[in-house]
Amino acid sequence: MAAIIEMEDVSFSYGSDAQAALDHISLSVEAGDFLGVIGPSGAGKSTLAACLSGAIPHHFTGALYGSTVVAGNDTCTVTLTDISHTVGSVAQDIDAQMVASVVEDEVLFGLENFGVPHDEIEERLERALTCVGIADLRDREIATLSGGQKQKVAIAAILALEPRVLVLDEPTAALDPVSSSMVFETLSDINQRLGITVIVIEQKVALLSSHCNRVIVMDHGRIALEGTPHEVFCHSHTLRTIGVDSPRTVRISNSIAAAGLGEAVEPCLTVDEAYNLIARTLGAPAEGSTGTTNASVQRAERPSPHAPAHPKAADAKPVVSFRGVGFTYPGGTASVSDLDLTVYPGELVGIVGQNGAGKTTLTKLLNGLLTPSVGEVEVAGLSTRTAPVSSIARHVATLFQNPDRQICKTTVLDEVAFGLDLQGVPAAEARARAQAVIDRFGLPAHEAPFSLSRGQRQMVALAGVVVMEPEVVILDEPTSGLDYRECMTVMETVSEMARQGCAVVMVCHDMEVVSDFAERVVVMTQGRIVGQGPTGQIFADAQLMREASVTPPQVIDLAERLARTVSPAFAHITEVSDVVATVKELMGRA
Amino acid sequence: MLNVIDYIPGNTLLHRLNPVTKLALAAAIIIATFLANSYLGLVGLLTFTLLLAAYAGVFGRLARLLKLLVPIACIMLVLQVIFVRSGTVLVGFVTDEGLITGGKACLRLLGVALPLVLVLMVTKLTDLANACVEKLHLPYKYAFAFTTALRFVPVFNQEMNAIIEAQTARGVAYDTKNPLKKIQLMLPLCIPLLVSSVSKTDATALAAEQRGFYLRTRESSFKRYPMRGIDIAAFVLCVAIIAAGVAL
Repeated sequence: MAAIIEMEDVSFSYGSDAQAALDHISLSVEAGDFLGVIGPSGAGKSTLAACLSGAIPHHFTGALYGSTVVAGNDTCTVTLTDISHTVGSVAQDIDAQMVASVVEDEVLFGLENFGVPHDEIEERLERALTCVGIADLRDREIATLSGGQKQKVAIAAILALEPRVLVLDEPTAALDPVSSSMVFETLSDINQRLGITVIVIEQKVALLSSHCNRVIVMDHGRIALEGTPHEVFCHSHTLRTIGVDSPRTVRISNSIAAAGLGEAVEPCLTVDEAYNLIARTLGAPAEGSTGTTNASVQRAERPSPHAPAHPKAADAKPVVSFRGVGFTYPGGTASVSDLDLTVYPGELVGIVGQNGAGKTTLTKLLNGLLTPSVGEVEVAGLSTRTAPVSSIARHVATLFQNPDRQICKTTVLDEVAFGLDLQGVPAAEARARAQAVIDRFGLPAHEAPFSLSRGQRQMVALAGVVVMEPEVVILDEPTSGLDYRECMTVMETVSEMARQGCAVVMVCHDMEVVSDFAERVVVMTQGRIVGQGPTGQIFADAQLMREASVTPPQVIDLAERLARTVSPAFAHITEVSDVVATVKELMGRA
Repeated sequence: MLNVIDYIPGNTLLHRLNPVTKLALAAAIIIATFLANSYLGLVGLLTFTLLLAAYAGVFGRLARLLKLLVPIACIMLVLQVIFVRSGTVLVGFVTDEGLITGGKACLRLLGVALPLVLVLMVTKLTDLANACVEKLHLPYKYAFAFTTALRFVPVFNQEMNAIIEAQTARGVAYDTKNPLKKIQLMLPLCIPLLVSSVSKTDATALAAEQRGFYLRTRESSFKRYPMRGIDIAAFVLCVAIIAAGVAL
């Protein structure tokens, strides 16, 4: 197959004195590839996408060297419109990409512009919508769609133009796991059935590795690793130094290989592969003796290494309590009801569920932005019904998904000290406390927050939360838009706060993060709490997970399947190291 | 989250008119409102607009807008009453002439605002833009700029609400009763809002160009907007409305 995109020695920087965003990149994309691009933030992934789609050099200005050839044409010699005949791109900000208010018109826009004969338009419109599975949404207003549906509309609008290459920049950043994998299923389908080359930038490794046929890892504007997912994820050590996560199943297979327990194998990219590997390694299904079962039960009770190591005292006074809380938005669009929840100091509670399950509403009820229509919310001894939000803010700090909504000062120091200023802490003391936190995070104190990278802005917002020394911290999607390393910094900081006695309530789509850090999980669906309990136990409840459309973390999924068929010793395992240890133990026994 | 000027789907005669005709109808009502100089004319035109809204099934939504407009109209009335000094004094500083001109100014304000809003409620923005390009030969660039600006109103409104929520949660006392204090607190928020709107606009421009924005011509639109019998009838109505405005 011929290369459809050929980049030769491409370098790009956004200003004459700016650091190179791309540094001597050479890349060739074959027609029919499904190429995944991964890397820490600031590695140049979006810049690469902009080069491939022609936005560089035609929309963003800067210093560009080398050549990018798309379907035989150098991108510098043809117009952006010409390039977009071949390469369709889906932007990161879906709302900004939309040009119409109704789905049908959105898809029509490109078809009309590119002069598709009017007698073909109807057919192509229908086909594009059917292909991504949203034919029934044709007459809907875009504003009333969910995030996942909007993402599909954006893909359909590009697909209708029948491009030969589709470039997507983090298409699943705002989506829950189920919608994310649906988007990837759609992309796989387009790739295999229509033969369209797909290039996707993505932070979710598990998705990338199970759908792509090629992966490139970027670091500091260069391509650090390139190859099939199996080849790339062999290098889990290199990946970790770059700051890229590996799927948990890869960690398991690599650890098993490293411990010399099995033949050297390719890394396992999916739960299926890992299951087969372990089953094969252990030979025929081992017979579980009662001894091993007991061992595993003990292991389950041991808290995971990250989770705060002090179980709540039974007689401790709860810091947050929801009693029969209900809330309906005006217009009755979405609502929550019968919420009962208690959180004790020092607890880290994860809230999981699909988009629209009512998780964000719960957090707003908690910090007083919304007051319940029925029931009672009590936080740090205050009832949110009577106490003004600004006084609740003395006890509760919220870290929002988008740090740009939180940041409003011109220097990092002022920004971090702002919350203390609002509480009436003397200016000198506020500055000193802010400076201490800034030093801990290694942030530039006198720079303007908006000149920092997305990840650093999130750190500034986090510093603003830490400095308050609150009794309750609320995290709304703390890890979206962050790379693996930034994500770990955020989560470790938060766990440390929990160890100091702060209650943490976290809404998160990344089940691996929830399973690593939360000691208790609350599952929500359709505005109700359908289950709550210890993390491992909740994730292992297959029926509950199905009911709430939550994909359990890979390790728990794997452990449950192994426990059912291979050996009960695998039951209730939540950690990679425990799986490996159990395999070792069972092999020693055999 | 629903916006006052959102399109409300329907299948009434008003919905089915050509978008250009709807604009003409709104323009005729507005012109007549300016020309009319009697309470009978002004109230009549306003009632006509509200009747059209009721017929199209959007009266409720229009009434919500009315709730916002009436206080502004009242301020206008008070100002007129204070500044118009001619005529006979009724009570204190209030003169009969002040009251009469003030009352008319109020009605004119409502009479000008409502028809345009009504058009936006019964027409999809894309249809409005396409029809204007096809029938009025308006360059698509301007039509697109206009519709995009309208489409961004709720988007920015949402963004602003999110920013205010984030700041409130940090302890900024937006829940203060003092409106001056509240404005003072809100001014710094212009910076984050401006930053996000500039980047959003840029992303929109890029996305539109990548979908062939510059290739679009008057013939591009898939949907056609022919003038039909009812449109001609509506134009006759327009002339009648303006004539009525002159007469009353």
